[in-house]
Amino acid sequence: MNNKILETKNITKSFGTLKALDNVSFNLFEGKIHGLLGENGAGKSSLMNVLSGLYQPEKGSIYIKKQKYKISNPDHASRLGIGMVHQEFRLIESFSIKDNLTLSRSNIHKDDFMTAFKKYSEIFALNLSENETVSNLSVGEKQKVEIMKIIFNNSNIMLLDEPTAVLTPQETIQLKNSLETLATEDTKTIVLITHKLKEIREFTEIVSVMKNGKMVSQDLLTQKVSDNELINLMMGNVKKSQINKDNTIGDVKLDVINVSFKDPVNNIKKLSNVDLQIKSGEILGLAGVSGNGQVELANIISGIERTFEGKIIINDNDISNKGVKSRKKLNLSYIPENRLGVGLAPGVSVIDNSIVRDYFQTKLGPHLSKNRSAKYLENLINQFSIKAPNPKAEISTLSGGNMQKLLMGRELVGNPDVIIAAQPTRGLDVNAVEGIHNLLIDQRNRGSAIFLISEDLDELFKLCHRLLVIYEGKVIKSFTTTDSNISSVGLAMAGINE
Amino acid sequence: MNKYTLSKRQAVNELSTFYSFIAGFLIALIIGSIILLAQDKNPIDTFSLMFRLSIGSVNSLSSSLNKATPLILAGLGIAIINTVKLWNIGAEGQIFMGAIGVNFLYINLSLSNSTIFIILLLLSAFLGGAFCILIPALVKVLFGVNEIITTLLTNYIVIGLTIYLVNGPWKDPDSLNFPAAAYVGKEVYLPNIFGKLSYGFLICILFTALAHYLKNKSVFGYEMRIAGGSEMTAVYAGINAKQKAFLAMLIGGGFAGLAGGVELLSQTHRVSTGISQGFGYTAIIIAAITGMRPIGIFLVGTLFGALSIGGSVIQTIGVSTYIADIIQASTLFGALIIQFFFNYKLLKVDDD
Amino acid sequence: MIDIQLLGLLNATLQAATLLFIAALGELITEKSGILNLGVEGMISIGAVAGFITAVNTNNIFFAVIVGVLSSAIFASIHAIVTVVLKQDQTVSGLILTILGLALSSLIGKNYVGKKLDTKLESLFSINDPSNIFEVLLSQNIIFYISILFMILISYTLKNTMFGRRFEAVGEDSKAADSMGLNVIKTQFIATCLGGAFAGLSGVYLTLSYVPYWTDNMTAGRGWIALALVIFGGWKPYRTALGALLFGFLEALVPRLQTYGFELNPYIVKISPYIITILILVLLTIYKDGKTGAPKNIGIPFFRENR
Repeated sequence: MNNKILETKNITKSFGTLKALDNVSFNLFEGKIHGLLGENGAGKSSLMNVLSGLYQPEKGSIYIKKQKYKISNPDHASRLGIGMVHQEFRLIESFSIKDNLTLSRSNIHKDDFMTAFKKYSEIFALNLSENETVSNLSVGEKQKVEIMKIIFNNSNIMLLDEPTAVLTPQETIQLKNSLETLATEDTKTIVLITHKLKEIREFTEIVSVMKNGKMVSQDLLTQKVSDNELINLMMGNVKKSQINKDNTIGDVKLDVINVSFKDPVNNIKKLSNVDLQIKSGEILGLAGVSGNGQVELANIISGIERTFEGKIIINDNDISNKGVKSRKKLNLSYIPENRLGVGLAPGVSVIDNSIVRDYFQTKLGPHLSKNRSAKYLENLINQFSIKAPNPKAEISTLSGGNMQKLLMGRELVGNPDVIIAAQPTRGLDVNAVEGIHNLLIDQRNRGSAIFLISEDLDELFKLCHRLLVIYEGKVIKSFTTTDSNISSVGLAMAGINE
Repeated sequence: MNKYTLSKRQAVNELSTFYSFIAGFLIALIIGSIILLAQDKNPIDTFSLMFRLSIGSVNSLSSSLNKATPLILAGLGIAIINTVKLWNIGAEGQIFMGAIGVNFLYINLSLSNSTIFIILLLLSAFLGGAFCILIPALVKVLFGVNEIITTLLTNYIVIGLTIYLVNGPWKDPDSLNFPAAAYVGKEVYLPNIFGKLSYGFLICILFTALAHYLKNKSVFGYEMRIAGGSEMTAVYAGINAKQKAFLAMLIGGGFAGLAGGVELLSQTHRVSTGISQGFGYTAIIIAAITGMRPIGIFLVGTLFGALSIGGSVIQTIGVSTYIADIIQASTLFGALIIQFFFNYKLLKVDDD
Repeated sequence: MIDIQLLGLLNATLQAATLLFIAALGELITEKSGILNLGVEGMISIGAVAGFITAVNTNNIFFAVIVGVLSSAIFASIHAIVTVVLKQDQTVSGLILTILGLALSSLIGKNYVGKKLDTKLESLFSINDPSNIFEVLLSQNIIFYISILFMILISYTLKNTMFGRRFEAVGEDSKAADSMGLNVIKTQFIATCLGGAFAGLSGVYLTLSYVPYWTDNMTAGRGWIALALVIFGGWKPYRTALGALLFGFLEALVPRLQTYGFELNPYIVKISPYIITILILVLLTIYKDGKTGAPKNIGIPFFRENR
């Protein structure tokens, strides 16, 4: 390992009482693709935000080419040649691609814009006019523009925060090729933040691992380190629980018959002829890259979306034309993908959020009993071990894991017959994930019919009896998890149905 | 380079609004003093005079409470609407519309039982205020049109309508050149509890309690909070968010309309452009400064009412009556500045 | 020959429109940077009184204009400090700016009510023949030409220059702009003060030429109309000018209605611009799919570390 281009020493950054970064040291070597591995919440993004000038650390120092710098803002970072691609793109939607690529202060392709645009369009296989408005682009295309943007800003150090989360397997391979070209031909130094081992293997030469805000291992050669070592570093000691799938399966609880749906705003078909059945004690998984109709399907089953064709039957009751409350009465629970914003209302207190499902049961006429609500929350806190010290505080004062526990607890405390859980573990650390999985398994063993929507194939294979793959609004394939492999499901997610 | 960095506080002190208000009020008094000193007036003398003339006697205290009544009622209306996280900049217009509502019913109806008549007139004021916000509420829930702008614009429409009425169809020939409608009959005057204190203040207390209940203790208030937090969560919970927003706006408008009705029946006794002197805007200050809490609105509204009375009587010693407006506005500016330090903190950045 | 009365109406329309337009242009700049300032009425008032007092005391019109413009800009900086630096609610802050501005200007101008100006802010040419349309157009106040100049300049800058695109980027998406190395806080701060300066220019035009005297609350709601104009114009300078002409026309028309023998009620004519603005806002929201032209980031305070 020759040219050390960047080095950080003892970086510390806190948010309130939470130490997001605790004495973190980190190295980057010129022209290499680095992996920064860690679970969600391990501090990867925080470290990258410090390097890109978004966060100011309380302690620590940063050296670029052996010289010490204090990176005071994103502009300063770009002048030092550091650019970051965030999970939420920093693109101005109403502007053209060209505007987005050229407005930055540190842009170096003012005079030879077209030459550079053509060159990188080729590297990224981007087939668009520079005058196209960004809001018309697909997610994958936006990401390409975003990466190009930091290249145009003369970034030699490119920090990519979970770039593959929004991509299909095919797009991921494309991205890998593009990044390799950039590293070898343009000697770009690249950091790929991820929590997926597979990507560390495929993309990177060097890997560093973070856990709980600390750097647990630095500068490992990807070739020389085993998956098990990485998992142990990343997760500490985890018992890999093998879940027993031989539980009793009962009668059909949820029956979705021939459901089709068009988006009423733009009349685009989002679902076509979806059929599925889930029995008591069964977990059915729905795999797919996000945006292929999962949210719409969940909303239709839970009664939020009412303008669809087809039938929804719960416990032999046809509820196709009924609303949210009547489904709750039939004991259906919905854990929506969008935790804060749908499942929980931001800016509203913990206690108010805790009774969203059952508030009409805690009321006396027009009066809402404070005591009953308080007891209700207390019960949830005890039963699901939620850390929520101040019930009157805003919901956003809870950690992601505790928010999800509150949401799950609220939806599961009534022992529902049917559960729709969409991306229930997204963004949570491994212990929280384990807790959520156990909650679902408990409900399954009790006899709930569970519909698990997830992008995480490991999770789906771990929990589900059967799997459906959704692509462009159609269920294109179904698997039983015991006798199929992950890669064939991955292919189906990309729309390849051999 | 920067030695300090800004950080958002995770938990904000529950009493921060109160502390900010106190600090803001002190800042405003300092600003007021500077202005008075610049005019060669002794601030301590002036403020103590204001204090004496606004709450120093039963009579002056009554005037202050009467003055506070429309401010509080309109402020409550703004707070109710803000439960669904919407703004009502149109309280001024709703106050006028409330007064118009009273006069409209008074002209078209005659009842011998004056208690029932007064109640009906006040109901008409409430409906007038609600009617005034109807269009902004409708276009908000149907099409998502920004309510800040529409409620603001309705102020000018309603004030225009008032000018039209008092110069045209409702013009009282006896009022000579002053454009105003005819006085309402003495039988529908809101009586005084004692001294000069009007029953309007009792209505004000009643509606403060009502607003407090509605916002903080009722199912409707809960549903408004969820709808205000996130429309998607409301839909998810089976709460009709648009309906709650619509109702909240109408009720809030009604509160401001009631302010106009009470003001007419207890103070001005007729419709003119003098029904409100910017009460609707002062009410926004009051509502914002208290973090939209009904009981806080009652207390701060009372204080601001006293300030207005104090401000208007010190004219006699040659101090501008606007000093009260300036103190009110500076209080909120001061409070906003202090609130910042409750929401954020400065962290020192080490160099190594 | 064109009817003199009609030209008189044209003249009055242009004057009234200028007054509104210059303030609206300032608000447009502020809003384009992502900051909503409801304090236009107060800012006009401060500029008006400061300019008037200076003119009365110094007899130097040029100096008076400078003082008026600067006073409003400094006054607007209160809003900039509270909303841009301290990230507090823009609606509340703007409203108090109006209340404070009206009260302060009344207080400061108390001894100047009824005072006469010796010199006025003049036109470049004086009218010799009020029946000649070219003379009417050429004899407008200097502020009229300045506002046209600013309209062209601002529209061109926003659309075609790197500076303008960057400025607009801040109002559209402050986080993206920040990541482009643009200084969001500085941009918004300056834009807010610039908005104040324009409102101040409108104010001095009011007291040094349009009326010209000083009395309490003489802004008479023009600041609110200016706010409405920005929406009316879809945040575009030329369309805003068109709106200003319409509002100015109606303001000029009201006192003339009877001379023309119309039976239209003047009070209804007076409120019609507000009704039209609401209608336009509703139509824009419905038919342009919510794309009223409003900067996306308006009203949202920028804090880099917001997660």
